Amino acid sequence: METPTEFKILDSIPDLNNLKSFTDRYFSKRYITDIDGIKNNDIMIMFHSNRIALLSLAPSHFFFNKDQEYKLNFTVGKVDRLRNAVKGKSKKGGQLLNPKSVVCKIEYKDGTSFDVPCGMKGTLIEVNEELVNQPELLKQYPDADGYIAIILSSIAISEATKSELLTHDEYLEVLNRCETKDLE
Amino acid sequence: MNQKSIIECCKELGCCDACCLRFLGLKSPAAYENPKQYVINALGKQGASVSPALVVQVETVPAGNQTEPAATAPGAVSEPPHAASEPSPAPSEPSPATSEPTPDVSEPFPAASEPTPGASEPPDDANEPPNKKMKVDGVCTTCLGLLQQENWPQCNAMVKTMLDKKRYECETFACALSAPVAALLRERVVALRLRDACANYDDGALTPLKEAWKWSFGAQLARHVGLALDSGAVSPLLVTLHMEYLEEAGELEALRRLAPELFARRSASQRFAVEFTRRAHAPLYLGGRYVKLSRTLPQTPWLVNGRRMLHSSVQELICAPIAALYRLDAEDAEHRLKFMSAGREDVDVRCLGDGRPFAIEITDPTRQPSEAELQQLCAQISAGGQVLVRRLVPVSREHLALLKKGEETKCKTYEALCIKLSHAADEQLPPAAPVRVTERDLQRVNAYSNCAGARVLLQQRTPIRVLHRRPLHVRPRRILALSAHAVPAQPQLLLLRLRTDAGLYVKEWAHGELGRTRPALADALQARVDILALDVAEVDLAWP
Repeated sequence: METPTEFKILDSIPDLNNLKSFTDRYFSKRYITDIDGIKNNDIMIMFHSNRIALLSLAPSHFFFNKDQEYKLNFTVGKVDRLRNAVKGKSKKGGQLLNPKSVVCKIEYKDGTSFDVPCGMKGTLIEVNEELVNQPELLKQYPDADGYIAIILSSIAISEATKSELLTHDEYLEVLNRCETKDLE
Repeated sequence: MNQKSIIECCKELGCCDACCLRFLGLKSPAAYENPKQYVINALGKQGASVSPALVVQVETVPAGNQTEPAATAPGAVSEPPHAASEPSPAPSEPSPATSEPTPDVSEPFPAASEPTPGASEPPDDANEPPNKKMKVDGVCTTCLGLLQQENWPQCNAMVKTMLDKKRYECETFACALSAPVAALLRERVVALRLRDACANYDDGALTPLKEAWKWSFGAQLARHVGLALDSGAVSPLLVTLHMEYLEEAGELEALRRLAPELFARRSASQRFAVEFTRRAHAPLYLGGRYVKLSRTLPQTPWLVNGRRMLHSSVQELICAPIAALYRLDAEDAEHRLKFMSAGREDVDVRCLGDGRPFAIEITDPTRQPSEAELQQLCAQISAGGQVLVRRLVPVSREHLALLKKGEETKCKTYEALCIKLSHAADEQLPPAAPVRVTERDLQRVNAYSNCAGARVLLQQRTPIRVLHRRPLHVRPRRILALSAHAVPAQPQLLLLRLRTDAGLYVKEWAHGELGRTRPALADALQARVDILALDVAEVDLAWP
């Protein structure tokens, strides 16, 4: 029988020209554009194959065009999203979210702000606390370390939401159409 | 007090010859092989037999290495055997042995005094010679026919059939009886009657039904199946006959009324005892280590909504040749082969070195495999090239605990192939310059430590990939040793060797999982980094 010392990890080097990021490897991205009729109020929800969803801002969000210092505020009304806690396998006790629920506010130095809605029904598992200390992550890596929250929903809801929302290709198409319209 | 009066009294109450010997307190196995002769000698004449309406069901359950045959004793109505894997035939018609309740027992056993429906007609046996009729009708009021040889052929046949089917390869067997509780109750009634009838009758001397049954039924069963009868402590094959008495519930009703709580407790604990007994007869365990060479092979079948996602699994590759050796079909194999391992690796992670400890539990094996067969199993498992098993050895049940304990305590050595994705913080390079792993990077990783007593202490949140089925926790885990190496001809890659605590998620440490594992490899390297491939190089556990 062969001795396994013959097997080296170096025989597993993949094609380095076609590498995918962590989120692209394990998640499929979905988008909602112009939420509440606000132009480019666009969010991105990344679904893991196990139905867990990550909430973030879509690259087309107006946030990315505004160059001003900002902070994330996870206190929404009386609810502090930072105090969300879940217990056990079934994640009992997590804050309940519906598509309109505001997960956080982004507050600019000039006093203006905007809300980030959840976009789907589910239970809040955790928010990205690191954004409080390093708000720039949201701008630098919106589809990685700058994610806003982790949401868990039932298989049925996650499947339904996934099929309802824009896929990446559909999203690009929508953006394209808007651009053309703007030019006209 | 003489034997004759005891026997006469027993006979009057409807006891069979063997039960008479039991009430005499006789403990000689030889006497039970021909109880009739003994009774004739003691009595000088044959007593009259009487019989209650009774039904006995027999099931044989093997133990340990063993089988589950079922037999029906011809008391009156036979029940279908219940071997789980076989279709249950409809209950058979009441056999001709069905008999009328005797007036004698109607008093002590009110429930038995009502004839079973369908059993009230006397059998049409007018043409039978009288002595035969006597035998058929004369079901013992105490043992319910268990000790009467005319009831044995059906049991014998069933045991034989089951043994033939299971093909156990051994020369001895032990047999055990699971008797109806009603038999105990009846035995007690007869003993009380004897105490009334015969002065100084010592009911403490009574020979237990199970003993008498072993000496009589067991001895002839040995001849019938061609195996030597041995003690259950010695023989690997235990045949258990479960005798059910269809009137049991009714007959025990008086007990239930007398002490409902005690009755319920006893019933519950007895059910437990039976199950426990079955499990206590340990199946066969084979231990080994597997090397997994594929990055598209899950450890166990990967099913999504009942559909399999990949063609095979480590478990299936290991179990298939074992199933073939024991001639198990797919369904049997699923029930009787159980795969256990010290932890698991992801589908796309290989397990090299000596491999990962595992064990296979074989329920109800027909025999121990030989050394040569074990070697052949290894060769068959390894033939496909996806999984290698070098050695398989029988292991004890106690030994198995090591596997599970190892899962929590063992250290593992990994090799991880990583890619540097950005310039290190202190590299003064234009953004467009190619990213390269420098000598400085390697040094930085090799010198990195954030705690005393280990190299790195991580706080790791439950990874998203398992978060749907595990609680959310932050777990401290340690990297005990860590070294970084350059990869020839691949300037952007680095090779890491690390030894970690059990339960550390290496991939999540390498890419940081969106900041959910801290610190991550990026903190040591001072640059963004991702993982391309992972191998388990060694699982630290002495096994098998």
